[in-house]
Amino acid sequence: MPIRRPAAIAFAAGLVVIVGGTAGLLLTRHSTPALRPVAAAGNAAGVAAFPAPTGPIVAPPQSGQPDPVASPVSLTIPLIGVQTNLITLGLAQGGAMQVPSSPTVAGWYTGSPRPGAVGSAIIVGHIDGQTGPGVFFKLSELRPGNDVYVQRADGTIAEFRVTSVQTYLKDHFPTQTVYGPTPDAELRLITCGGAFDPATRHYLSNIVVYAAEVK
Amino acid sequence: MRFPKITRRITLLAAASALLFGIPAAATASASTAGTGWIRLAHLSPNTPPVDVYLYSFGNSNAQIVLHHVAYGTVSPYETVTAGDYSVAMRASGAAPSSQPVLSTSVNIAADHAYTVAGMGPESGLRLQVINDTLTTPAGKSLVRVIQASLKQQSVKFHCSCGGDIASKASFASVSPYAPIPAGTWTMSATGPSSSASLPVTLVSGTVHTEVVLDGANGLEIVNLEDAAGAGKPPVGGVTTGFGGTAGHGPGSPLPWVALIGVGTLVALTGGLRLRRRGVGRRLNTGI
Repeated sequence: MPIRRPAAIAFAAGLVVIVGGTAGLLLTRHSTPALRPVAAAGNAAGVAAFPAPTGPIVAPPQSGQPDPVASPVSLTIPLIGVQTNLITLGLAQGGAMQVPSSPTVAGWYTGSPRPGAVGSAIIVGHIDGQTGPGVFFKLSELRPGNDVYVQRADGTIAEFRVTSVQTYLKDHFPTQTVYGPTPDAELRLITCGGAFDPATRHYLSNIVVYAAEVK
Repeated sequence: MRFPKITRRITLLAAASALLFGIPAAATASASTAGTGWIRLAHLSPNTPPVDVYLYSFGNSNAQIVLHHVAYGTVSPYETVTAGDYSVAMRASGAAPSSQPVLSTSVNIAADHAYTVAGMGPESGLRLQVINDTLTTPAGKSLVRVIQASLKQQSVKFHCSCGGDIASKASFASVSPYAPIPAGTWTMSATGPSSSASLPVTLVSGTVHTEVVLDGANGLEIVNLEDAAGAGKPPVGGVTTGFGGTAGHGPGSPLPWVALIGVGTLVALTGGLRLRRRGVGRRLNTGI
């Protein structure tokens, strides 16, 4: 009897492992579809859920006497329900753009002008995390005319209006167009998009939203 | 008949591949955005009284922009306008919009380009000059140019403490080429035959500046304009802003599961065999 018990246990355990393995095999045989952002609930609903911030709207400084513009602290895009603090970002090793470590927060590239000052200010956020949507999941739903607000450290708000939404293959990213100088106060919101390459775990394209300050 | 068919097929093919590779947004959306440029208006004629400046879209008698009472030394902020042909007219300050302008010029505004239209020269020879403004900078540097608008100092040397002259002999109503200047705070100095001026200017890389030399109340004056700004150190390549949590993915590899089933089978088989052997042995023992 004492000799038989281990054999019986091994037999039973083996059966359990076979059943488990088979179940695992069957359960993982289907593909998961890509999550698609649901259609925006429309302007009114979006604004109701995420009201535009209130505060003094400051016109861009006149050429010649540029008033110092305060650092950006948060970003609001009513139509797509974005309301996030802004962290600061620099360059990663190799000179690529540093990105937020959290998928739910956006960041301002400190090597670009401050939002509301003359020039193209760069704000970057993730489209998704490992398991779900990121802060800029619905960025590609923006259309020319949509409002974007940047709150600054001194309590002022810069109001921007989307002028265009572009998709670029990362291999053909137009650096000059996106990061080059502009003579007015502009904003570039950047996230990922296009096809996802499961081998490299990267999206193949970037979505860039261009916006200009409302005077 | 054959040719159109082939063309259609190529078009279809192009459309399909564009869809596949995600180019359509870039291709179609750029059509709607290819359409704007920038213009600013300036009065840089020292002995010309203030003027009203009008900007007309070509063929439209209603002015798109009117700047009233623009005095010497004024440079407006840039205005974003649809690319195309425009005319700029100057009238004496307060003159009726329907009156004959003192001066006018035409300007073609190309998409994504910037222009300064300035009243230049002495009043007796006043002209409207269209100046092309650059919107690109060499990596890590600023671009600086000089507009010499001093009538009292006909020739001016414009020097940067960064170590060189931006313009060694700038004559009245001239525009210098752009000079690449490293980032930093520098002293800009303008020296004429009988007057001079200096101004500390902070240059951030990726910016474009115009230094305007004016006749001030007490001799020369320098006005520093920041014309445009971008990322001085543009990041390399695209931006890695996704982990793929919402991207679709195919079934994972079946190998680990198959291996697990294999191990299970092996264990069960070993256990089963041992059980059976014992069982047989026992029966033999008791059977005899």
